[in-house]
Amino acid sequence: MNFKIRAAKKDDCKDISRMIMELATYGKMPDEVKISHKELERDGFSSNPFFQCLVAEVPEENKSKEGHTIVGYALYIHTYSTLKGPAVYMEDLYVMPDFRGQGIGKSLMSKVAQLGKEKQCMRLQFAVLDWNTPSLDFYVAKGAQDVTASEGWHFLRFDGEALDKLANEAED
Amino acid sequence: MDFSIRAANLDDCKDIARMITVSRHVCACSRAHLEQDGFSKNPFFHGIIAEVPEQHRTKEGHTKIGYALYFYTYSSWKGRAVYMEDLYVMPEFRGKGIGKALMSKVAQLGLAAGCNQLDFTVLEWNKSSLDFYLSQGCFDVTADLGYHCMRCEGEALQHLAQP
Repeated sequence: MNFKIRAAKKDDCKDISRMIMELATYGKMPDEVKISHKELERDGFSSNPFFQCLVAEVPEENKSKEGHTIVGYALYIHTYSTLKGPAVYMEDLYVMPDFRGQGIGKSLMSKVAQLGKEKQCMRLQFAVLDWNTPSLDFYVAKGAQDVTASEGWHFLRFDGEALDKLANEAED
Repeated sequence: MDFSIRAANLDDCKDIARMITVSRHVCACSRAHLEQDGFSKNPFFHGIIAEVPEQHRTKEGHTKIGYALYFYTYSSWKGRAVYMEDLYVMPEFRGKGIGKALMSKVAQLGLAAGCNQLDFTVLEWNKSSLDFYLSQGCFDVTADLGYHCMRCEGEALQHLAQP
């Protein structure tokens, strides 16, 4: 199947938002999605964007049952590693179920890696749910290491009231 | 003990590099890279420094005794977020609220920028750090939700980046 990987445009945000919800539903946490296409438009397409995004597009004749031609996306951020320098964090990688097995996910991820390489990024990081064996297998097959399993890294997070409380204790 | 928390500037890179070298047990952290990556037009990160007055300087004469490095990131579910890449206080200055003050400053700046999350990583065997963070109210996303940190670098990354 023919497909194209390209940088997302502001107009793609409704499709990206749709697919974010699909990915969250797959991850069994749809109620956790609090932002809509409006936040994506504001935060990803200003002069100083918080994130970058690629989309996978198929021709009209291959559109999904619901009529979508945007069938996958990768949302990533330019980050920093104190030890390695510029790095990339891939926040999301998703391909609609009907379009899997055609190399679209691999192409999206490769493009993220390639764009990172152009900015001298030495590391690509992301997160996977421990029960998500198909995804874990996919990533390990591409040469990724599970550094939670191998080195013991844990993600920690402050949000909601805990974040407010922490911030309130800062000196002005 | 008196201390102050402030935004890092270019002149602080020498001390930040010194503290990175000690905290990460590496041969040497490049001050030049920090200057270039943190203080150019489009910085990759921002820094906060903890400083003590002259009368409390270390044996070697240092008054810059802690730092935090952070950058803005994004959650596709929650929106703007901040990632704390490093938090460090020199051992002889711990237990005085300096680490907490550095982290609070990152949280305050993050909230001011519209962030809903402050994320970071800790090694699971680092019990003293884990206990410190959990006592401040964060939660362990890996333990509680099952997210594993994945990394691709070196040859694997080169290979992946082939078109």
